[in-house]
Amino acid sequence: MRIFLPFILLLLLLLSAPLHAQDMLMPEADVKEGEKIFLNNCASCHNKNMKDDMTGPALGGVQERWAEQPEVLYSWIKNSQAVVQSGNEYAVNLYNQWNQAVMQAFPTLTNEQIDKVLAYVDARYRTVGPYAPKDEAGAVAVGGPVEPEDNTLLYVGLLVVLGILSLILARIISNLNQIATVQETGEAPERKTLADILTSRGVVSFVIFALVVLGGYTTVNNAIALNRQQSYQPEQPIQFSHATHAGIQQIDCQYCHDGARRSKHSVIPASNTCMNCHSAVKVGSQYGTQEITKIYASAGWDPNQNAYYDPEMLTDEEIEAIYKKWIVDNYIKDNDLSSLDSEGEMEVNAQWENIVNSLTSEVKDDLYGPIPWIRVHNLPDHAYFNHAQHVSVGQVECQTCHGPVEEMEVVQQYSPLSMGWCINCHRQTEVNFSGNSYYESYHGYKEEIENGSRKKVTVEDIGGLECQKCHY
Amino acid sequence: MKKKNQEIWAGTEDKLNSSEWKEVAGKEFRDSPTADDLSGVTANRRDFLKLMGFGLGAATIAAGCDTPVRKAIPYVVKPDEIVPGVASYYASTYANGGDYCAVLVKTREGRPIKIEGNSLSPVTKGGTHARVQASVLDLYNTNRIKDCGSVNGNEVVPMSWADLDKVVGADLQKEAQIRIVSKTILSPSAKKALAEFQASYPNTKVVTYDPVSSSAMLLANEQSFGQRAIPAYHFDKAQVIVSFGADFLGTWISPVEYASQYATNRKVKGSDTNSLSWHVQVESAMTLTGSNADNRILVKPSEQGVAIAALYNELASKSGAPTVSAPAVNEKAKAALKRVAERLMANKGKSLVVSASNNTGEQILVNAVNDLLGNYGQTIDFTEASHQRQGIDPDVRALVREMNGGSVDALFVMGANPAFDLPDASAFIEGMKKVPLRVSFNTMMDETTSRCNYVAPDHHYLESWGDAEPRRGHFSLMQPTIAPLYRTRQAPETLLRWAGSANLNTSADQAYYEYVKWVWQTDMFPTQSAFATFRGFWEQVLHDGVYHADQTPVTVAFNANISQAASKISKPNAGGLEVSLHECVNMGSGEGADNPWLMEMPDPITRTVWGNYLMLPLSYDADKNEFIALNGLKNFMDKADKADLQVGGNSAQCTVVPQFGQMAETVSINLGYGREVSGRCGAGVGVNAWPWLSVDGDGHTQYYATGANLSERTGQDDEFACVQYHHTMGVTGEVDGEEINVDERAAINFISTGYQGSLTNRSIIFQGSADELDELTAHIHEKRSEYQKLNDNTLYPDYSGIYGQGHHWGMYVDLNACTGCGACTVACMAENNVPVVGKREVHRHHEMTWLRIDRYFYGDAENPNTVYQPLMCQHCDNAPCENVCPVNATNHSSEGLNQMAYNRCIGTRYCANNCPYKVRRFNWLDFNTADVFPANENYPFESDEPFYADNIVRMVLNPDVTVRSRGVIEKCSFCVQRIQEGKLTAKRDERRLRDNDVKTACQTSCPTGAIVFGDRNDKEGLLSKRIESPLVYRVLEEVNTQSSVFYAARVNNKDQKLEA
Repeated sequence: MRIFLPFILLLLLLLSAPLHAQDMLMPEADVKEGEKIFLNNCASCHNKNMKDDMTGPALGGVQERWAEQPEVLYSWIKNSQAVVQSGNEYAVNLYNQWNQAVMQAFPTLTNEQIDKVLAYVDARYRTVGPYAPKDEAGAVAVGGPVEPEDNTLLYVGLLVVLGILSLILARIISNLNQIATVQETGEAPERKTLADILTSRGVVSFVIFALVVLGGYTTVNNAIALNRQQSYQPEQPIQFSHATHAGIQQIDCQYCHDGARRSKHSVIPASNTCMNCHSAVKVGSQYGTQEITKIYASAGWDPNQNAYYDPEMLTDEEIEAIYKKWIVDNYIKDNDLSSLDSEGEMEVNAQWENIVNSLTSEVKDDLYGPIPWIRVHNLPDHAYFNHAQHVSVGQVECQTCHGPVEEMEVVQQYSPLSMGWCINCHRQTEVNFSGNSYYESYHGYKEEIENGSRKKVTVEDIGGLECQKCHY
Repeated sequence: MKKKNQEIWAGTEDKLNSSEWKEVAGKEFRDSPTADDLSGVTANRRDFLKLMGFGLGAATIAAGCDTPVRKAIPYVVKPDEIVPGVASYYASTYANGGDYCAVLVKTREGRPIKIEGNSLSPVTKGGTHARVQASVLDLYNTNRIKDCGSVNGNEVVPMSWADLDKVVGADLQKEAQIRIVSKTILSPSAKKALAEFQASYPNTKVVTYDPVSSSAMLLANEQSFGQRAIPAYHFDKAQVIVSFGADFLGTWISPVEYASQYATNRKVKGSDTNSLSWHVQVESAMTLTGSNADNRILVKPSEQGVAIAALYNELASKSGAPTVSAPAVNEKAKAALKRVAERLMANKGKSLVVSASNNTGEQILVNAVNDLLGNYGQTIDFTEASHQRQGIDPDVRALVREMNGGSVDALFVMGANPAFDLPDASAFIEGMKKVPLRVSFNTMMDETTSRCNYVAPDHHYLESWGDAEPRRGHFSLMQPTIAPLYRTRQAPETLLRWAGSANLNTSADQAYYEYVKWVWQTDMFPTQSAFATFRGFWEQVLHDGVYHADQTPVTVAFNANISQAASKISKPNAGGLEVSLHECVNMGSGEGADNPWLMEMPDPITRTVWGNYLMLPLSYDADKNEFIALNGLKNFMDKADKADLQVGGNSAQCTVVPQFGQMAETVSINLGYGREVSGRCGAGVGVNAWPWLSVDGDGHTQYYATGANLSERTGQDDEFACVQYHHTMGVTGEVDGEEINVDERAAINFISTGYQGSLTNRSIIFQGSADELDELTAHIHEKRSEYQKLNDNTLYPDYSGIYGQGHHWGMYVDLNACTGCGACTVACMAENNVPVVGKREVHRHHEMTWLRIDRYFYGDAENPNTVYQPLMCQHCDNAPCENVCPVNATNHSSEGLNQMAYNRCIGTRYCANNCPYKVRRFNWLDFNTADVFPANENYPFESDEPFYADNIVRMVLNPDVTVRSRGVIEKCSFCVQRIQEGKLTAKRDERRLRDNDVKTACQTSCPTGAIVFGDRNDKEGLLSKRIESPLVYRVLEEVNTQSSVFYAARVNNKDQKLEA
């Protein structure tokens, strides 16, 4: 009976643990509508991830920041200039902090609609993460939502308590046994010390056995995983944000990775693909001139003149002058200066150095030329993979293997890219059997489907697990 | 009595079944390298433990290290036509002197990796030959001349092109006696450039010669018809083909074109044998063409003339024309030619007589023969005459005289190597010393270039703009498929610059491109009416690669003095040894010497590699039951005797190969080997046979020599590399009076309780004569039913459910269409990254070729017939290799492919041991530098690094095929990368797979269409139709491998009445 005591205690403790308080949330439908309003009206200036600044500040935690005067928030959204002119301290600070950029007025929005938008902002923010303010020393109050609590510590504490309890109990039992024996036989048997127990043959054998099993298991697992790079997230020469391009701007993956539908390679886009947009979008929402200038340097484009130059006709100094001028001009404009101050000079030099380091290497000393991206997804040489097969024929979404790239600031390898992972998918994935005439040659399956003895044809069924589908 | 299908043999050893042969042939792997061989390290147990400890430690450290950072480098500006990972094909033209082939160049990410035939060409019809296939490797030859400059020994002292133009320009006076020596020029643009140069320097003469010349034929045709041209031949329209020494399937003038024509009447269609052509070859040594002939008539090289005269006289007396007086040919040949004449007369207008003779008298007689037979306008036509041989030998003789006379001021060498490939090369070299300015335009350092002052290297053809007119009205464009790798410039452009041509826009980005376009606009555009604008016309031709302009028919009348011609024919030599010298399919006249793919391609007849070997006649000694070669010289398995051959004052030590079909009292050897100056692998390989050539009274080069002397044995080639007995299958022997297979012998001795009766008398080749076609098909049917009955008692499961749907890949090989030319073997090497191993490794049976062409003889041992059998992995549905793999590295796919997973293979080689076809190859060494341990590397020829170690050479590798490392087995995969690509195309188009979607590399390279690949489940497909033929059999069907390669039995049209 006493043996159950710890479990009862554990049960009690678990029951008394505080439950997560459910936040008061708007109904799901309202959040959806809020999203629609947000995307139509706000998303062009406010970052959709709610945690990064764009043209306007990140909206995550906006209600906490306006908590003292929630009513003014409605007026601010409807017409921010009116609030500024009214002399509201918080509003004026905010206006100045954002370089007196005027927020568009939305007089037609009703308070209910604003509530819905705020609900959406809040819901979205919770799924993305805390707000990293643009300027921590600034006047904007920091106030993120409460993180879902991590219960690990609690459980560890519980375990320790239980462990101690069971030790005490074991000791008590042992003592009681001792007493009982003494009472029954009249003489005290020799008590085993802890050392005796720990060095007993049984314990030693068990420990060795456990170590061998654990060690073997770990070794084999690690050996199998050698050279696998799941979660590999190298720093790239350009801090290219898939979250901005694929997420906020909703650019289709295959606009840039145009090989995916027709080639084995998805293809890293050429610099001139970047230039399709960036000849117009010249200053980045996150890094200003620093990153986009790298594209210009790689493609040989003069952003001051809006024209390509012949890199072979210019000296290194002339090329440096072009981009430094561009960076300086933008710095002056951004900071509303009349000329470059010393801080700005440092900033410009730092940017320039970063550009040079990113685009050059021991084997390439010109800025002009291809951008040396770091390859994230590396298959071993003996594995053949074809994007077109999966994207065009299999209609597999890019995200199935690459994960939520549209949310990745820095791209990382999402899937293990191990053979087991490939095989699993081939086992489960169904082919478009009736939709593609190619599969007509599998008349056996066709008959089975027609007479009902087969529900589906998987990749495995048409030989998708065979060696020479991927190794030749 | 049952007809045995094992009436074939590969050489003297298995023909006689000598005990030594059985001993050696019974072994599976010979000369496995020891650790000693590999690294020079002797290892003992302690070393092993140390290494193992090191290995474990290294692995642990490696596991802790970061994975290396790999870059992904995109384009800056991506060209529209390139999608990384997808091959682009460009139509272009292979032209090497007069050798021509219309090609498609497969490029990946801007680098050419494979040559395919261009099926739009009416001349070559999509076929290729071995040198065309290998030409892509020449592009990446690291020994190409990389800069223009002055020549110092075998080195180039680099200069800028501007400096060279200045230096040479200053030396060139307007009235200078300039001689430009080149091989046949097919390019109209280059000819125009030469004409412009001649206009600027009026004392310039262009001297054209062909190393293997048709000069006498050109002059004979001029005398006979007033046409200095090679006519177009139509082998497809000929029922009787008589060739006097012309190797038209291998090397003669336009072999790809002729082979595809020839094959149309060699394939057996149904039970009709009347459409089969009858082919007689008159020769002394067995050539590729001779080996394909139905009958061979043996005459000595010096008897060719009188043989032609004998045939003429037979025909003339039959048709009432005047006969000529000529010495008699040997009795046997005379009787045979009588029979030939009878059959020719019966096929007037449907016959064709050709000769490779370089004697004008003989060629005029050949013309007279064809005229008597009414072949002009039928099988021979001058309307679209060939330009593929234009060289006139007397011109080059005159040049040598002029040079030695000191009257030449400047010598330009354009794509020729006269200091090597002329019979009077030594006189040419002497003459060169008296020419003050010598400029070479060659791409490689060779015997001639090393003796020049300057070199102005030309582009490789895959980097060039250009054109060709192989036959009158048949034009072909050459376009670059890669930017020039080195600082080279096209030779015609260089000449135009020196000439100060007004038509060359020197400021243009690609000046010669503009020039070629200009030539086409002025000359070719007006000959067509389909396009209104030049731009449209140009783009169409650039896309197609070829353009055909209609010609007004040319009819000819024979008009030559026959008796005068007869007086000029060569007189037979009374006695003594005669040597015939031949161009061979891989080496050409010597330009293949620096190409390791060609060096390692076995000669179709002797099946030797890395060198040229003296072919000796064999005679049978009935008393001893032995074949005895000339002078008792021997060649057994991997060792061969050496002997000195002396012709005139020139003597050289040659390795000998006794050869069936070589006429008594004659020997023969291939030309093109024995290069003195060549890049990485050509120099010093084989014997230079060019000095043995002679020149006749008219100045024509003669490709034979009389009065030769062969010494007794003077040495032994210990690294004799002949693949003849490598990977043999099912050679029979005798035990206790019973016939068994040699390689089963060991097992039988152990078991001693008997053996499967079916294993004897294996079905490797089925052959029969056309007269008895019914018997042959009945025999095949009987045998196959017997095998199927045997195979019914199988323990294997029934596969019909597995392979009944989807694809079931298979291949059909027509042994009647296969001429043995070997284009497929090189194509396979190029497609599948098959390594080059070098002579020593081949000697040790370690060649890596996935596709071999077995050559078997049958019939009369004195003058046998030949059959070639391309043998690759048979992709057996009951594959014996799969059952024995301990790690399941080789297994079967649901599409019937025998798969090989290299990364699973641990190198036990059980599979190779158990393969009855011997098509599996083991990587004994790191042939491709695929692993990290230098001690495993292989140095196939004298060079600082292994082949494929250089990054330039590696550019030729096919990125879709794994490069294998040491210690794994590899073999033919049925070009699985092409299968997968074809399936993907069909899937993306949402349609069923078609025949054209998947074609293997061997199939596309074949000039005769001997190989058909396809899906056996596609009942409408070509393959299914082909394998229904009653001639079809499977090799070793009796062992129940259920192989996927089907062969059509060889049917020869041998005339039994013709004894020769």
